[in-house]
Amino acid sequence: MSRRLFVAYFEQEEDILGVTRAAKEAGYEIRDVYTPYAVHGLDKAMGLRKSRLPWICLGFALLGATAKLWFQIWTSAFDWPVNVGGKPLASVPAFVPVTFEITVLFAGLGTVAAFLLVSRLRPGKKPLMNFNRATDDRHVLVLVENDAAFDPLEAAALCGRYHSVKMEEMLEEES
Amino acid sequence: MNGHHTHDTMEHDNETSRLDRRDFLKLAGFTFAGVALTGCEQARVEKAIPYLIKPEEITPGKASWYASTCAGCNAGCGILVKNRDGRPIKIEGNPDHPISRGGLCAIGQAQVLGLYDSQRLQGPQINGATSDWPTLDRTIHARLREVRAGNKSVRFLSGTMTSPTTLALLKRFLSSFKDGKHVVYDPISRSAILEAHARTHGIRALPHYRFDRAEVIVGLEADFLGTWISPVEFTAAYGSGRTLEGNPPKCSYHVQIESRLSLTGGRSDKRYAISPSERVPLLEALLALLEGKSQSAKLPHFSFLNDLAGRLNSARGTSLVVCGSNDVASQILTNAINELLGNYGKTLDMQSPSYQHQSNDNALQTLLTEIRGGKVGALFVHGVNPVYDLPKGREIGELLSRLPLVVSFAERVDETAQHAGFVCPEPHPLSSWRDTEAVAGVVSMTQPALAPLENTRSLMESLSEWLGNRASAHELMQQEWRKSVFPRQSAEKDLAAFWNRSVHDGFAAVAPRPHRTEKYDSRPVQNVASPETGADSFELVLYPKVSMGDGRHAHNAWLQEVPDPITKITWDNYAILSEAAAKKLGVLSGDIVRLSFTDPTAASGIELELPTWIQPGQKDSVVAVALGYGRKGTDRFANIGPRWFEGKPSVGPGGLVGVNAAPALQFLNGQLLYERGGVRIERTGRHQTLACTQTYHSIDTPPLLAQGSESRRPYVQYATLAAYAEDRAAGGGPKHESRSMWPEQHEYKGAHWGMMVDLNACTGCAACVVSCQAENNIPVVGKDEVHRNRELHWIRIDRYFVENDGELDVAHQPMMCQHCANAPCETVCPVLATVHSEEGLNQQVYNRCVGTRYCANNCPYKIRRFNWFDYLHEDAKQNMVLNPDVTVRSRGVMEKCSLCVQRIQEQKIEAKKNGKKVADGAIKTACQQSCPAQAIVFGDMNDADSFVSKRIADARRFNLLADLETRPSVGYMTMVRNRTNKSDETPHG
Amino acid sequence: MVDGISILRSPLILGNKSASQVTDDVCAPLDRGPGMTWWFALAVSLSMFTLGVIAVTYQLATGIGTWGLNSTVGWAFDITNFVFWIGIGHAGTLISAILFLFRQRWRTSVNRSAEAMTIFAVICAGLFPIIHMGRPWLAFWVIPYPNFRGPLWINFRSPLVWDMFAIGTYFTISLVFWYVGLIPDLATLRDRAVSKVKKTLFGFFSFGWDGSTRTWQRYETVYLLLAGLATPLVVSVHTIVSWDFATSVIPGWHSTIFPPYFVAGAVFSGFAMVLTLMIIARAVLHFEEYITLHHIESMSKIIIATGGIVAMAYMTELFVSFYSGNEYERFAFINRMLGPYAWAYWIMVGCNVVTPQFLWFRKIRRNVALVFILSIFINVGMWFERFVIITISLTRDYLPASWDNYAPTLIELATLVGSFGLFFTLFLIFARFLPMIAIGEVKAVLSYGRKESHGKAREEEGRKVGEYEGLHGGTS
Repeated sequence: MSRRLFVAYFEQEEDILGVTRAAKEAGYEIRDVYTPYAVHGLDKAMGLRKSRLPWICLGFALLGATAKLWFQIWTSAFDWPVNVGGKPLASVPAFVPVTFEITVLFAGLGTVAAFLLVSRLRPGKKPLMNFNRATDDRHVLVLVENDAAFDPLEAAALCGRYHSVKMEEMLEEES
Repeated sequence: MNGHHTHDTMEHDNETSRLDRRDFLKLAGFTFAGVALTGCEQARVEKAIPYLIKPEEITPGKASWYASTCAGCNAGCGILVKNRDGRPIKIEGNPDHPISRGGLCAIGQAQVLGLYDSQRLQGPQINGATSDWPTLDRTIHARLREVRAGNKSVRFLSGTMTSPTTLALLKRFLSSFKDGKHVVYDPISRSAILEAHARTHGIRALPHYRFDRAEVIVGLEADFLGTWISPVEFTAAYGSGRTLEGNPPKCSYHVQIESRLSLTGGRSDKRYAISPSERVPLLEALLALLEGKSQSAKLPHFSFLNDLAGRLNSARGTSLVVCGSNDVASQILTNAINELLGNYGKTLDMQSPSYQHQSNDNALQTLLTEIRGGKVGALFVHGVNPVYDLPKGREIGELLSRLPLVVSFAERVDETAQHAGFVCPEPHPLSSWRDTEAVAGVVSMTQPALAPLENTRSLMESLSEWLGNRASAHELMQQEWRKSVFPRQSAEKDLAAFWNRSVHDGFAAVAPRPHRTEKYDSRPVQNVASPETGADSFELVLYPKVSMGDGRHAHNAWLQEVPDPITKITWDNYAILSEAAAKKLGVLSGDIVRLSFTDPTAASGIELELPTWIQPGQKDSVVAVALGYGRKGTDRFANIGPRWFEGKPSVGPGGLVGVNAAPALQFLNGQLLYERGGVRIERTGRHQTLACTQTYHSIDTPPLLAQGSESRRPYVQYATLAAYAEDRAAGGGPKHESRSMWPEQHEYKGAHWGMMVDLNACTGCAACVVSCQAENNIPVVGKDEVHRNRELHWIRIDRYFVENDGELDVAHQPMMCQHCANAPCETVCPVLATVHSEEGLNQQVYNRCVGTRYCANNCPYKIRRFNWFDYLHEDAKQNMVLNPDVTVRSRGVMEKCSLCVQRIQEQKIEAKKNGKKVADGAIKTACQQSCPAQAIVFGDMNDADSFVSKRIADARRFNLLADLETRPSVGYMTMVRNRTNKSDETPHG
Repeated sequence: MVDGISILRSPLILGNKSASQVTDDVCAPLDRGPGMTWWFALAVSLSMFTLGVIAVTYQLATGIGTWGLNSTVGWAFDITNFVFWIGIGHAGTLISAILFLFRQRWRTSVNRSAEAMTIFAVICAGLFPIIHMGRPWLAFWVIPYPNFRGPLWINFRSPLVWDMFAIGTYFTISLVFWYVGLIPDLATLRDRAVSKVKKTLFGFFSFGWDGSTRTWQRYETVYLLLAGLATPLVVSVHTIVSWDFATSVIPGWHSTIFPPYFVAGAVFSGFAMVLTLMIIARAVLHFEEYITLHHIESMSKIIIATGGIVAMAYMTELFVSFYSGNEYERFAFINRMLGPYAWAYWIMVGCNVVTPQFLWFRKIRRNVALVFILSIFINVGMWFERFVIITISLTRDYLPASWDNYAPTLIELATLVGSFGLFFTLFLIFARFLPMIAIGEVKAVLSYGRKESHGKAREEEGRKVGEYEGLHGGTS
């Protein structure tokens, strides 16, 4: 089945902030807000919870560190021990730099991969909702007309109060 | 046979592989991908052909050795020829040989390369066209008949001949003519010594000098450790007189008086620079002093003679005064001095004299006049190259081409042979039978280690042919030995047994032929003619170089690239000037100067143009030039070494390597004189780069950058004999106590190989450099690459000028890989291409090396060598000299001394087969084996009784840069000079 | 947030831009075809690059012998260029990461191109360790991959291996960082693109970005994390590069102060290069209102600071060498100052210690032409710093008999020129096809320092109106 969406366009950062807060208070279901740049405080206004990506980052970092340190000791001291410059077979201090680099590499790539995954971004993907000017200068508020109680006029009025420059309704095919 | 076969395949393979490499590199240039792909097929399998029927004496992969005699010069050192798969690949000294005692000089070491010189004549020549022996013999027989008929005189011109068989044959050959004479001369003539003895002792002979018996040695222009008469023998003897182990330490006192700094002068305890014109007055003064007449007053700057005379007087019978000049007056005075000191019969042996030089310059001059007079009907030239060796060579050449019959025995068409109607090339000494009696009583044997590679015939065979009864050299020798050698010994009863033993040992010790010496006649001393003294102009001194000698080996690339022990220059000769003289002339090293002088006998003035070299220790009024350069055919080296757009040829402006200085020689008082006064020097404004392997020459850092006590680098420990006698550790820095942040994790359970180099014995003669080159397949890189400091020699003999006790000392320090236990090179290699073995060797894994050069940068001794290009033999045939036990390194990999790991493995396998551990001394590295001074010792440091361990325990031992905690396995021993002051000149770093 | 800004702050972006104006301005160079200047610049840098390619090809075909190196001096131009370019590559990440953490919001106008510069510089740098090998076709041997030679691994004690990992990581992370920052702008380009080709291309590379706040929120987190990771990374890279020398035994190389010394030097040279490029860019692409004098001044200040550290390091080096009581250390530095290569040392001091001092004066800092010239001097000086450290130390180390001099060959000079060619070529292509300024980020700071007190008012007023309308609507 499909559902109806109420879409309102705004010009000013403070308008979108205000209207989002208001909509939240008024108990509208906010489908999402599309902005040309990261508007600070908007996520709070929408009531989103903090991202958990930092934990993923930490996980990958630890993985990289342990794996690389083990690999260096294994290759140098166990798999094929060689006397190099009279140094101990496991010259751990000398293994620190590479361990550090691999830690950073794992953490970085891991985090970005996770980000793309959870945000469903990938090369060649078509944007779900494409409000052209949302990547230029328009802030777009999308409300879900979830039940009969939803009154477009009311929503329109609310948005109007925040100088919405344009309002429209549209259908979204739900998969 | 086999030789030919291998030779063909070798050459073929070389061609193909070279092509492949070229293509591969072209491809490599364009894409990294392409490079990476082709890179995988680095290790290509060369096709190998096994023997179907194995020759009895050859086991593939196993070396066979032949005792023989070196023909590099007249000294007649004993050698052992190493054969692999039927071809000689290395020459080593024969330890049992009474003359050389196991050592061998650079020239001797390089002989094996000459064997594979593709420019040697492939067969006999008639009027410049290749011919065959029957035709040649027919023609020569006919010509000789004419000569006999016309009662024309026959002259056989040769260098010193020490072969009993050849001499006997030659005698018979010449006596078959009405007027046949044998004329002997050496390009580096010692005629004056024989002449002087003819006058003072009534016998024209060269004494056998015994440096081992001498406690006080005075060398006057005699470079007896480098080039004079028999350097290898003299070096060993000299060393045996300076062994410091005993108590009190045994150390002769050596004074060197010379006009240019020679290798011998660098070793001396006291050194004085004089000009040639001062020599005779000096000798006269010394003689007078010894006779008790105080004449030195009239020679204030010879005041040192008083002390010297005192020393000599206190060492009567155990002193030795030698003079290197070819001036009879000086030699007569020298004889007088030695006679006065009672040295004859003690340090100068006249009973078994030396035959190493028999040149007779008077006879030579007579011959030249005869030739000019057109009296000579036939001239045979053997072993000498008058057109090149002698002054007015061109004129001689023209005269020769006018003679009815000129026969040359040259190995290639040299300056003289090109004027000879007939050229009868001899086989290379390594592939011919020969005998040599260099010193009376020592008859050395030369046996072929390989069938001749060319269609050649030895002189003996040619003579026998022309005498009408053709026989092989082998037969001829046996006949002669039956007559003249066998009877002179009593050890062996049976000739065959005697012969076999001699072939096996490489020599036979027999009784010398009887020599009658008349009692000393002092008359000649009164009427000595003093040579012309140079006016305000320069005095020119002509000398032979350690590696080049008289130039007969100028075609040997190894010798061309040996750095001169003193100047460290390769690929050139030059005009050596003192700093003051150069300043006066306003020239710097490399500036080309014109040496000009008038010769009374020459129509016009003579000129030489050479680059300058500024040299400490040189007399200000003297300019010195090396002989033996500018040889015909050295233009072959124009393209030796890598070719790229900034690369420069290895030849000089004249298209040859160096300049021939022979035109500056002169006949004076009957002798070929190697010095002349009245030489004018002027700048030409042109410049020529000299390929010197060292850019900085002092052990002291530059004055501008010096910091007081720190100006001297403590690398060459030095002590005076006086100080050493008191404290065996004299001259040593503070002992470095080793500390490490790492736990000890690598102990060497089995052997731990180590090497000690005794700086007190080392003369810097560079024999080890060439020996190492031959053993380890080290390519020649050419002048331009040497100039760019990219020579590949694994041993770099560092030569330092050191100011000790107001003397200019020369210190030689052979630097090879130090095989550090804590090797800085190993830690930094990203790909584990250089690692440490369980026996303490620092190993270089060529096929793993990617060539980052980080190891070389991090080596504090800078002994690592990099393959900047692909280095191919300029002469593909010379690939036959390669040692199959050692990898030939490809472009882009690092290499360095391996302590001859292939020799270590060989001996370990031997020992394993016999089920016992490697005996101390069984393994000899190439450098150690060839060292005439036995300065190098190699062995197992874990074995407390090994020679090397004893050396390490010695108080003179020190390691380089020990405070870097590299823990080298190669160590050095303090140099001690016989001086009385106890001041310890080496600062503690 | 918005109303919390004091009126005193000067705006980061001049000319009262609106968001769409920003989009248009930044995308302008991309929309209007390349001008003559661009083509000319490309022609020049491409021919420089070609020269380099020819030189390297010849060297690969003939041998490292075509360089001026010798048994004593095993590294000279090659590693000097390598360290030089790595140094240049430090500004980008520094601007985007460290300044981001320090909330230096002016960075937004320059970080995009600075990051691009980083990536291109690292590419140039990365080439040298490969071509400097004797057998470059085996370069992959420094990577520990399973093989049938044992397997034979690599020597993790070797600073060169550390280098390989450090530079590899640095390049990857910088690239990711840069691209993540690029995604929203690519979306912008996608949506304003008219031609089909551009639409599909930008569409493909913009990963389906739609500006959803949910994504923006994660995006910000990721950006913060990457910044946090990149900061120690950027420090580690030059630290490790400096260990190539610091861990060796060669006097002049073996020095414990190298890591901070090299990092400061890197930032120093990096910012000099950023200035050089930005000053050209703002002139050619008319970005004066985005890359303002304020930016140039801030960067000049950073140069004074890092230049100070570098000067300090030079003096410390001297002091340590003389205080050490180690004759080799002392000699190494006296030889630098008075030896055969003294000229190089004094060029270094002149360019790196004297030049930055001019920037103390506000007048000079605000004089674009002068700053440009000074930045060039610093670039030269920093190249010589590496030459002095690497080459002069090698020419005269321990054994006087092994001392030797070094002079570059034409091939080496051509290779250096070529690396600059490559760098500028890449940068020009970037400037032509991607937004040189982070559109999204600039929009975020548009209001910054602008008098926005009416913002609140509008909201208030809005409510009233709304209420009224609502009431009204309610009644109808």
